[in-house]
Amino acid sequence: KVTGAADGQGLPGVNVTVPGTSNGAITDTKGNYTLSLSAGAKSVLFTFIGYEPQTITIGDKTVINVSLAATTKGLGEVVVVGYGVQTRRDVTGTIASVKGSDIKNIPVPDAAQAIQGRVSGVDIVRSDGAPGSTPSIRIRGTGTINNADPLIIIDGIPAGGLSDVNPNDIASMEILKDASSSAIYGTRAANGVVIITTKKGNYGEKLKTSVNLYRGVSNTVRYIPLLTAPELAMLKQERYTNDGVPVDAIWKDAYYSTQRTDWQRALLRSGDITNADVSLRGGNSSSNYLVSAGYYKENGIITNSYFQRYSVRINSEHKLGKRFKVGENMQLTYKKSSGPDTYSSQTGLIFSALRFNPAIPVHNPDGSYGSSKASNELGDINNPVYTAETTDTWIKNYRMLASVYGELEITDGLTLRGNFGFDGSMANQYSFAPKVLDQTRARDHAELFNRNETNNNQLSEVFLTYNKVFSQVHHITLTGGYSQQTFNGSWFRGDRWGYNDEALDQRVLSNGNDIHDATGNYYASNAIASGFVRGFYGYKDKYLLTVTFRADGSSRFAPDQRWGYFPAFSAGWRISDETFFKDNVKAISNLKITGGWGQLGNQNVADFQYLAPIDKDRRYNFGENPYTGVWNSRLANPDITWEKAEMTNISLEAGFLNNRLNTTITWFNKKTRDMLVPAPEMDLHGTSAIPDRNLGQLNNKGWELEASYQGGNDRFHYNISANASFIKNEVTKLYDPTSYIGSTPYGRQGQEISRTYVGQPLASYYGWKTDGIYQNDAQIKSDPNIKNDPNKDNIKPGDVIFVDTNGDGIINEKDRVNLGSPNPKMVYGIQASAGYKGFDLSLSFAGVSGVKLYNADKMQGMDPNYPYNMYADALNRWHGEGTSNSVPRMTLGNANQNNRVSDRFVENGNYFALKNASLGYTIPAKVWGRSGISDIHVYVAAQNLFILTKYSGLTPQLGYSTSTDGANGTRDGNRQRGVDVAAYPQARTFTFGATLNF
Amino acid sequence: CKSVLDVKPKGNYTTGNYWRNQSDAVDGVTGIYNVLLEEDYTGFNEFVFDNCSDDQVRGGDHDYDAAIEDYSYDASTYSVKVGWRWKYETINRANNVLIYVPKITDIDPAIKNRCLGEAHFFRAFAYWRLLLIYGEAPMVTEDDVVKSNYNKPKVSADQLRAQIETDLLAAADQLPESYGDGDKGRVSKGTAWGLLCKLYMNWEKLDKAIEVGNKVITNANYKLAPRYADNFSVATGNNSEMLLAVQTVDGSGYSDFITYHAPRNWNGWSFFYPTKGLVDEFEAGDPRKNICIMQPGDQVNIGTGIATYNAAASWTGYHYKKFCAWKPSGGLDYSLKTPLMRSADIYLLVAEAKIRLNGPGAGDAEIKAIRQRASATLPAVTNAGMKELMHERRVELCGENERQQDLLRWDKAKLVDIVALNAKPKLAYDGSVVTRGGAPRKFTRPKNYFFPMPQTEIDRSKGTLIQNPNY
Repeated sequence: KVTGAADGQGLPGVNVTVPGTSNGAITDTKGNYTLSLSAGAKSVLFTFIGYEPQTITIGDKTVINVSLAATTKGLGEVVVVGYGVQTRRDVTGTIASVKGSDIKNIPVPDAAQAIQGRVSGVDIVRSDGAPGSTPSIRIRGTGTINNADPLIIIDGIPAGGLSDVNPNDIASMEILKDASSSAIYGTRAANGVVIITTKKGNYGEKLKTSVNLYRGVSNTVRYIPLLTAPELAMLKQERYTNDGVPVDAIWKDAYYSTQRTDWQRALLRSGDITNADVSLRGGNSSSNYLVSAGYYKENGIITNSYFQRYSVRINSEHKLGKRFKVGENMQLTYKKSSGPDTYSSQTGLIFSALRFNPAIPVHNPDGSYGSSKASNELGDINNPVYTAETTDTWIKNYRMLASVYGELEITDGLTLRGNFGFDGSMANQYSFAPKVLDQTRARDHAELFNRNETNNNQLSEVFLTYNKVFSQVHHITLTGGYSQQTFNGSWFRGDRWGYNDEALDQRVLSNGNDIHDATGNYYASNAIASGFVRGFYGYKDKYLLTVTFRADGSSRFAPDQRWGYFPAFSAGWRISDETFFKDNVKAISNLKITGGWGQLGNQNVADFQYLAPIDKDRRYNFGENPYTGVWNSRLANPDITWEKAEMTNISLEAGFLNNRLNTTITWFNKKTRDMLVPAPEMDLHGTSAIPDRNLGQLNNKGWELEASYQGGNDRFHYNISANASFIKNEVTKLYDPTSYIGSTPYGRQGQEISRTYVGQPLASYYGWKTDGIYQNDAQIKSDPNIKNDPNKDNIKPGDVIFVDTNGDGIINEKDRVNLGSPNPKMVYGIQASAGYKGFDLSLSFAGVSGVKLYNADKMQGMDPNYPYNMYADALNRWHGEGTSNSVPRMTLGNANQNNRVSDRFVENGNYFALKNASLGYTIPAKVWGRSGISDIHVYVAAQNLFILTKYSGLTPQLGYSTSTDGANGTRDGNRQRGVDVAAYPQARTFTFGATLNF
Repeated sequence: CKSVLDVKPKGNYTTGNYWRNQSDAVDGVTGIYNVLLEEDYTGFNEFVFDNCSDDQVRGGDHDYDAAIEDYSYDASTYSVKVGWRWKYETINRANNVLIYVPKITDIDPAIKNRCLGEAHFFRAFAYWRLLLIYGEAPMVTEDDVVKSNYNKPKVSADQLRAQIETDLLAAADQLPESYGDGDKGRVSKGTAWGLLCKLYMNWEKLDKAIEVGNKVITNANYKLAPRYADNFSVATGNNSEMLLAVQTVDGSGYSDFITYHAPRNWNGWSFFYPTKGLVDEFEAGDPRKNICIMQPGDQVNIGTGIATYNAAASWTGYHYKKFCAWKPSGGLDYSLKTPLMRSADIYLLVAEAKIRLNGPGAGDAEIKAIRQRASATLPAVTNAGMKELMHERRVELCGENERQQDLLRWDKAKLVDIVALNAKPKLAYDGSVVTRGGAPRKFTRPKNYFFPMPQTEIDRSKGTLIQNPNY
């Protein structure tokens, strides 16, 4: 029997093995085990996660009862590192670990969402709440203006695509934050590394079945107060009257002063979430296996937005003889999703709901959809309910991620491992746009497009590991090998226009009248080849040293710029193991100091920028016959190469109260150089892209604090942990000291909101400062801000006072200044869990502080120049001296540009949210008698239960705004963050569920 | 490992392996024409600048277009900045053709000449639009492209004009005089001469304008279409008179030019409304009025049937009918070509130059040709002076983006007072004043002869690009 040292209770699931043989057993639910021994067996090894391993010499004993001591938190744990594992005690880098059990059954499809607030130094940025939208992971700040996503390794394959992994399949997530631990991934490690290890079976384990079921509902957290139809008509009339212009007749028409529709409530509905997954695992003495299957479906809070996933996983490992193991990990996924556009300020759905005229009905009496066609005064938006209900688009993804490995123990301590991975995926995208003549944005024919894309990447790697302890004090681990990975893909797309029959079951390409487009090409061809080596030396587990080196070649760059070399080292000193410490400092049970330095690379930039591609343009006709033009879509930069990051960090970890209380404090400094930045050139090259140049430098430095406490006894136990990260992000070099990196302009007027300047954080807001509202003519006449302004005569009482920051007495572009940073100064989280008898409670809070958001949607929603509905705040407008000092007058005259980008729309973006809360009860096995069920856990849970914030928009949880309005029409990534474009908001979700174990 | 990393782009050419043969050259030239479809260029935005004129009112819902109309624009105004890059894109595509096509040997010499002529023409056309809008602008040569040198100061208007002249002379030399049916829509010698004539008028070189304009109007390849309406009809848009038109084809390479013009309730976006002043300019019995203008009560064939035009469709009660066409199956017919330059324009420029050089009556022949083509019953004009010439240009070319440029040219020549003209309000069909907010229109001389260069360009140039005076 195996028992826990703390409470004397039997421990189920403990691995009992005879070293050097394939003999083994697993303890049952009461901690009992039996083991038949072969002759010559000398000792038995007891291992169990979370407990100190113990070896007992057999001698002539027939009954061996052991009592295992729980490891002081984390120290005995094994953590997964690149190309191997390490015990937590020996780690000299900074690696955060999240156990699968911590994120189990959180109702999200993507594990990254589930770890928000749980790991210091990691900021999870979710740009929108559309079902299946994937968050961005930012480790130790945003490391580059370009792609700053970390490398994601799934069971040894650099693969990405976290949303393909059922979070309930995850055994652990390791986040490699510092240079020393991530340097073994060289050119892909500059933004950190996330290693996902999925669950596996155990040798000698009886078949176990586990079923997870949950279901939930979701709703929008809030609505924006908007004008009602009578209020809107009143303000429109006031606008014309202020301008001395006859009021457009439509605003005196009673029809348009009658409130009919609250478009937010018409568009947003209640969504739902369903999850069901089952896993089987077990093994005998020579094989183990895990088979799991999952189904996840989320219907979003906008009609026709959804995400569903079917996933299957098969992991197994087999011993062939004493020294050779083979194994495989395989993941099959099918996903289907549909999400509306909520970023565009032409057609974005939530934008449309916030702007569409409230006097227009969802449906006219004749059943047709209400529309804004009656007048230009109503704007050019289509009925958002019409758009949502007629949306017929989806994307299907199929993916197989598989690896096969073999491991040969050459001699004691020396193993050779070969790893072959295949990641194949297919995406099929479909979009049918019906013919529409009764909306303002009409389409005189239906359009269908279908796009197929296939990708495959292949990984081959082989490496040797030598692990030995000499003279019981010198611990050496050496790892070295070669790895190569190739990426290939292709796509094709067909478009047909004109459908005589638009019935749902006739919407296929073949039924379209005209082939509008049929295109295809190769996609994403590139390759990486690398050699790597890592050495670890530990003396008495007290003095620790890790040295890493990787050489990486990437096909993305010109032949003479391809290879990069990335060294790193780190060292640790366990002070608490020193005699002088042990003898004198009793209060501190663990004290370890570690530090490291290293260089990393980022090759995650567009392929082949060293060449100038010729691309096809659209069709043009001569003699009514179509021809296809070409253009030079990008200029060339033959010198382009990796971005490099250099990181230094120092950590101090301390345990108190016999390691019930653990704390860690880390300081880090990460310098990015050779950052690819756009040259600040005029558009004299036309629309061809200018290749970026390796000129920029960026610095992220800060502190990470972690503390956790576990308390209680065997009846009542609880854990509280908290973490906080303070990060200062600063661009230290661009093309030259005064140049900047712009961002995609927002909205119809192409307003530039974010700029990145040297000496400032990435993507700071850039615009004018304001100082209230002009109340009367005398104030305008005497205002020094505009004393030399040629526009002075056009400024009227009720206009905004802009601040003349450069002191020339003229308000113009030169007065724009930094208006704040979207990068939080502090990201923090608190987790608490408690168990009492069968009850369990867990809470996870996440928050950010020191962050500013730019409410671009409000900037448009308060601007009377647009022909749309406005925010209710417009009622607080200036309409006579003393009536308002914050909201300008209603006017179409734009001489003062009252609604230009200014501090009026910069808001405090701090929030503190209860991201996940769950209360459960475990119905013990005895209730179920002999049904075979070992236990059932039932629970209720909520996500985003509350969000404390002063921010006035739909949600303060904003990320990167993808706009298709701008001249570039592409994702802006890190160039713009925290700008509220009324993207799909994150919902509040309530779920109930059950886990059944057999 | 070398072999693993030896990945080359597939499926795309690069400048290193393109420009090998005739089809590469022809596709490269088609790329230059492609730009004409852009909304921010001749697909729409270039026409916004004529909202300054007394002929039309800005409609639509781009409130920033109001800033153009009432001269309150600044260097950040959307319409002022968006066309800039497309003009330089044209120049860039043309420069590439001029760099690489001369080296191609696997090509019919006639096609090679045509390609080079087309590139010269469109480079000139882009500089011409830069000249009209901004007055001065940077010049990018083939050598700059080879050296990736794109940080250039602006050059004077005369330097721009000299470059345009050089390019147009080369184009006129290299381009064919006319095309077979399969190549309709390409620029010809006549197109180059026509633009050269417009350049000389802008340059106050009236002699040269007459000389080169005569090459157009005396050449049967460029004769006026039999009927005025032929120029604005899907079936006959590509005729001898059409020196340059954007070759849009419904469903296959089209621009939104007519969407911007058509009434909103009839599938358009309603951006341009003719004024009462323009409509009243038509003489009684001039058939061009009904061809050009939609008026309240008009019965209009909107494809799926006949509908009645209602004054509520427009702030002025009018739309440009000449830029609308519908399909019988519903929706706009995008096969209606966008006219950018017609021989009729050149006739009237030659007449203007003759009148200004030799006095009233000198341009009677050209004016007569235009009026007789419009209608045999229009009374003959004799001894026509600038007044008659101005009238004829206004009605013949209404909506075709010529009016404001005419007024600017005449103001500079002291033939009209553009400040006084702009002080007059624009009127709707019922005589009411059309104002949609903002200050009353006030033209400031010489500031408003040109628009400011985009602020973003000034910023990025770091002092290389100097803003126009008065901005």
